[in-house]
Amino acid sequence: MDNSENTLWYSFLSGDKNAFSVIFKMNYSELYNYGLKFSKCSSLTKDCLQDFFIYLYTHRDSIKEVKSIKGYLFVSFRRSLLKKLKNERRFVGVDIESAYFSNFEFSPEEIAIRQEISAIKSDTLTTILNNLSPREREAIYLKYYSELKVSEISSIMNISYQSVLNTIQKAFKKIRNASENEIISNILKKY
Amino acid sequence: MNQKSNIHLEGLLDDDSFKNWVHESNQNDVAFWKDWIKKHPEHIDVVYTAKAMILGISFKKNSVDTTEINESLQSVLDSISSKPTIKKSAKLMVYTRYALSIAAVGLIIFFSLLNFFNVSNEINYKTGFGEVANIKLQDGTLVTLNGNSELSYQKDQPRNVTLRGEAYFKVKSIPSTKAKFWVNTNDLTVEVYGTEFNVNSRLEKTDVILDEGSINLVFNNGKQKIMKPGEIVSVSSEKETISYKKIEKNNTYAIWKPKTYVFNKKTLESVMKHIENTYGLSVEFDNDSLKYSEISGGIPNENLEICLKAIEKITDVKIEKNKEKLLIYKPIN
Repeated sequence: MDNSENTLWYSFLSGDKNAFSVIFKMNYSELYNYGLKFSKCSSLTKDCLQDFFIYLYTHRDSIKEVKSIKGYLFVSFRRSLLKKLKNERRFVGVDIESAYFSNFEFSPEEIAIRQEISAIKSDTLTTILNNLSPREREAIYLKYYSELKVSEISSIMNISYQSVLNTIQKAFKKIRNASENEIISNILKKY
Repeated sequence: MNQKSNIHLEGLLDDDSFKNWVHESNQNDVAFWKDWIKKHPEHIDVVYTAKAMILGISFKKNSVDTTEINESLQSVLDSISSKPTIKKSAKLMVYTRYALSIAAVGLIIFFSLLNFFNVSNEINYKTGFGEVANIKLQDGTLVTLNGNSELSYQKDQPRNVTLRGEAYFKVKSIPSTKAKFWVNTNDLTVEVYGTEFNVNSRLEKTDVILDEGSINLVFNNGKQKIMKPGEIVSVSSEKETISYKKIEKNNTYAIWKPKTYVFNKKTLESVMKHIENTYGLSVEFDNDSLKYSEISGGIPNENLEICLKAIEKITDVKIEKNKEKLLIYKPIN
């Protein structure tokens, strides 16, 4: 954490409600969007997010050392949302986490039209992204949508630093291959 | 950049020079990596995967409506205040409350005393000749202070700084409050929200070069001007002149950035003026005609010797360093 983040966090820990409000406002959208990705239910995600922040404030004394505010919030919110989903029991008798994360998909509306890596259309890129494995999709989302650091992603997904890098690397190899194929087939169509 | 025959993905992702190649932001690095890839075709897959990872996927962010966030926050705050955090006995609560108010009074007295005896409220950074300092301000703004320069600000106003000399700013934007950032020099004030730019207030004038974003210049006479990326504005309040230029092929300009000088159609004489100011050296030309050799391109500036070597190569002159003096002459073939 840098200086200002540190001050903000310690003010929150000491009970400052303004600091708490700043943290709430800064992270609400990102946490909500992330939660919605696997819960697929807007009202449930919002309820859970509120309960999560109330719990965070009332149990702030039991929080151990935190390396980054955003990373910490993602880790804990993911855990509490999964717990809530478990209680809803939509998937019985299966591995709840992988069942929900197989839902983790991208929609063409989320993908910017202009991409730096290649000139393929955003719906083509959406298809390519959705053909990645659920873990690869989540890692890509956390890295480039939520703009988290590799170390933060590693604690959110509960895998090693190296595994995060490998996962993202594998994903980009697939994206590169698929987009090259797409470009070649587009060229061939013209003849 | 020397030993890169054994390449690792992780190493590339952390390498600034590699990132510069990916973003095409530094001519030296672009040339280096073009050449490197040609020589190591076996690593092309790693290199292009690393490039793709740095460029990443661009998303359209879907933010939750602000009023909705505020409503949600309000109901969270409401239910927090109805739930006491620490469940202690009533007596203890009263005691804590007393202790807190005593502590608060103490703090108020302490801070007013601090204000009263406010002597050294100013924070000051200074670099010597040839020194470059990377400074991170309280608000997260990054400043690279070039040699022989000085940056200062008041402790309670970390986003209002005064500069003497030259610096490159990456101002941290604070979108929630739209807080501005100010850089003051003898000639003008630069007003910023969040952006990257260079300010040079040497030689009785101030040059401002904008890389990214937009900034507002407030001149000493009260006039204002909004700058666009790629523009250079030079102001001298002494000579009462203001000039505008664009970073374009046909214009002459000199830009100092962290790690590199970028010169375009500059004479050797003016390039050496920059070196004199940054490293505190005096320059002597063996022959006046040498002053007008033209320099274009990026020159590494972190190390004086490498910098001088690069200048020698571009202009075909020899530069001899003798204590605090640089002698420039044409080698005899």
